[in-house]
Amino acid sequence: MTMRARLIRLWRWVTWTWSPASEREASTAIVENLWLHWFPAKVAEASFSWSYSLWLGAISAFLFLILTVTGVLLMFFYVPSTQQAYWSIKDIHYVVGFGWLLRNQHRWAAHLMVLVVFLHMLRVFFTGAYRAQRSANWLVGVILLLLTLFLSFTGYLLPWDQLAFWAVTVGTNIAKEAPLVGAALRFILLGGTEIGQSTLVRFYVLHVFVLPAAVLALFAYHMWRVRRDGGMAVTDPASAGVDEPREASPVAGKTYSLFGVTPGTSLETRAAGPFGDEAATFSAPHLLRRLMLVFLAVFTLTIVLSLISGAPLEEPANATLTPNPAKAPWYFLWLQELVAITTLRLGGLTLSGGLIGGILVPGILLAAGVAWPFLDRSPLRTVGRWFPRERRLQNTVLCIIAFIMLVLVLIGMLMRGPYWQLYWPWQAWPEMPRRL
Amino acid sequence: MSARRFTWNRDFWPLLIASTASFVVVMIVAYHEYTPEWRHYTLAFRSYLTGRGAYDAAAAVPDNVQQIWLPELDRVDRCISCHVNYDGSISTLPDLPPLYRPHPDLPYMAKHPFPSFGCTACHGGQGYALDAAGAHGLVEHWDDPLLTTKLAGEYGLTRAQLMEIKCNTCHRSDDSTPGTDSINMAKEIFERKHCTSCHGLQGGGGLAASDLTYDGDLDPEYLDFSNVEGPKTTLNWQVQHFKSPQQVIKRSGMPNYKLNDEQARGMALLMLSWTRISFPPQYVPAARRRPAVVQPVVREVPYPPNATTPLGQQGRYVFTNRGCNSCHRVGGGKLIGPDLEGVTHRRNDRWLQSWLKDPAAVVAKDPELQTWSHEFGDIIMPNQNLDDKEIDALIAYMKEFPESAPPTPAAAPQ
Repeated sequence: MTMRARLIRLWRWVTWTWSPASEREASTAIVENLWLHWFPAKVAEASFSWSYSLWLGAISAFLFLILTVTGVLLMFFYVPSTQQAYWSIKDIHYVVGFGWLLRNQHRWAAHLMVLVVFLHMLRVFFTGAYRAQRSANWLVGVILLLLTLFLSFTGYLLPWDQLAFWAVTVGTNIAKEAPLVGAALRFILLGGTEIGQSTLVRFYVLHVFVLPAAVLALFAYHMWRVRRDGGMAVTDPASAGVDEPREASPVAGKTYSLFGVTPGTSLETRAAGPFGDEAATFSAPHLLRRLMLVFLAVFTLTIVLSLISGAPLEEPANATLTPNPAKAPWYFLWLQELVAITTLRLGGLTLSGGLIGGILVPGILLAAGVAWPFLDRSPLRTVGRWFPRERRLQNTVLCIIAFIMLVLVLIGMLMRGPYWQLYWPWQAWPEMPRRL
Repeated sequence: MSARRFTWNRDFWPLLIASTASFVVVMIVAYHEYTPEWRHYTLAFRSYLTGRGAYDAAAAVPDNVQQIWLPELDRVDRCISCHVNYDGSISTLPDLPPLYRPHPDLPYMAKHPFPSFGCTACHGGQGYALDAAGAHGLVEHWDDPLLTTKLAGEYGLTRAQLMEIKCNTCHRSDDSTPGTDSINMAKEIFERKHCTSCHGLQGGGGLAASDLTYDGDLDPEYLDFSNVEGPKTTLNWQVQHFKSPQQVIKRSGMPNYKLNDEQARGMALLMLSWTRISFPPQYVPAARRRPAVVQPVVREVPYPPNATTPLGQQGRYVFTNRGCNSCHRVGGGKLIGPDLEGVTHRRNDRWLQSWLKDPAAVVAKDPELQTWSHEFGDIIMPNQNLDDKEIDALIAYMKEFPESAPPTPAAAPQ
């Protein structure tokens, strides 16, 4: 055999599963590749629709991947000590090779992930993909959303600058307002009564290990669950207008039992959608190509954003000087606005805005979100469709809630100045005095 | 859905565009990373030297980040990534462009070598940064800007004078440091005017006014600028405050020492130099001290005498609480103001009432008091903004003082 032929054979041996040369190879590729058997051998063509899912779930997964890679690299340089954290970030930005990129990209991916996860949740709700067997996955998704927010919150403290210190002050003071457990919750979060070294270490451990591990575990279940629940909702037979799923006839093949492989009929999910050769597509290479496209787009976007705008770093944290105004991270700004709005002073009494705006309102929203799959009464045939008439009321309500949250966030970001006074975005704030 | 060929190239064009786009942005990132600002300056220096035929020098210009790492001073100075020839080790050619000139060899440089002191300890700026704006501290969220002639000019100072703030941060225990003329003058004024009679300092001093030990760390956001003209900076606030305390702080009990502009600026520099800074013992400069001069310090003054009547006790409370005993002793001689023992035998009630209400008005009507105040550093007692009840209580208290001979003008403080 010539050298060229050997090289080609070597190349094929390494890469055949990613670009299978025949349908048979495509089927076995999934099973014979560690990474690829994450996916089913075939996926419904309907799942590829851009307009159905906007591929938001995949986007958030890739953002998490970017966060993990940039995060691990940042971990080689960041020091979680109140004396050194701020300066280690200065060094990362100025001196570490591509450090500026790592930091900016990490920050942008974090903000985008919070946004995309939220949008993904909205999409799943609007398409009714939380009904029946998918309610378990919806609950897992809600937990993943909370984990994402908590990951972002713990990461926010790590630069140990004024922005970080006081944003976490605002957040943990809202947590303190929870009834019965509030004070204890704040104590556990802070590792004491004040934000200090114990808080920093605690948030660091949560941020780099505990929470990512929890996300990975739940994400794995979340993905497996999609397959177990019969794929994406848009592929459900009911939504495709097929009243009875076509029973696939058993195919002679392998059956995987607990202790080995026994000859017999192949495994098939009986509740599958109208899978025929027409509606199914091999995951290798088609799903892989699509995922590669999504990844490249997400990657390019985070890099472009990193080039345009850097991660902020304000003055070193100073417990004796509160910035005026002190703002929570943007995804909690709607909560801070609610807290400010519901804090009412009537004579000598103060109505606790922290409890109402910070605990009760989000608590009710969360409870409603968790309970909704079990309260929903719309017909199953509307699952997997955007804004069907039968779910119009609940979808409208969620639209309104999301819009209010958006407005509150924008007000908090653009229109709140010193002493939480309202300023138009073009209105100048009072000049801040300097030392020299 | 119609059947598709197995080998159909799904997403061909989008994938091509996305791949190209990601490649392009990665190239832009690499360009950004490998063309930092400082490199522009070092390469320019190389070509400059080559142009003048100094090939060995050109080869000696480094092509990487340079820094002076000072763990003991808790800082790192990367100024020398651009100012590569700071120590003249690359080139000593005359007429080099300003960026590449070596640091001037000043008399005290031998005692402040670069490897031990770096740059920002004396010049200010952000040593961590590697871009010009960031390194010169002319950015948001960095409050230690490079001390330039332009910045000094905003306050009517020279750059050397502004830098005296930095000198005195370490040399504060000197009575007088060679090379810091403004600060030396300010220290002499500080001593002469007995500032520590009211202000606390380094564990001693008075209790009637703020502690000045770390006055330079006072955050500008805590200062009231509503009656301060000019830039909203701590330095400007201090200058205005020294020129006229009552103008800046409406009800200030601090006397107006009638300092001229130069003196007020010097005092402001002194205040800004008193900051928290810690360094290991080898950095502590040998203090240049004159033999100690005993200063009148309020904490060593005995408490004013007790009162027996209820109104007198109220008056004693006012006397200590409003800081009268920071300036007046009762027996024991003059302090800042005259000894008040037996004062009610020298002045009648009406006079005392009008004095305590508005000393300046009384002095304006009685020229003899003007000459008398020469003995007290030309200072008239500042209006303490007392109300009538406090004045009555004080007078009742002062009536309980033991009688004594009138204080002679030549009486010196103990």
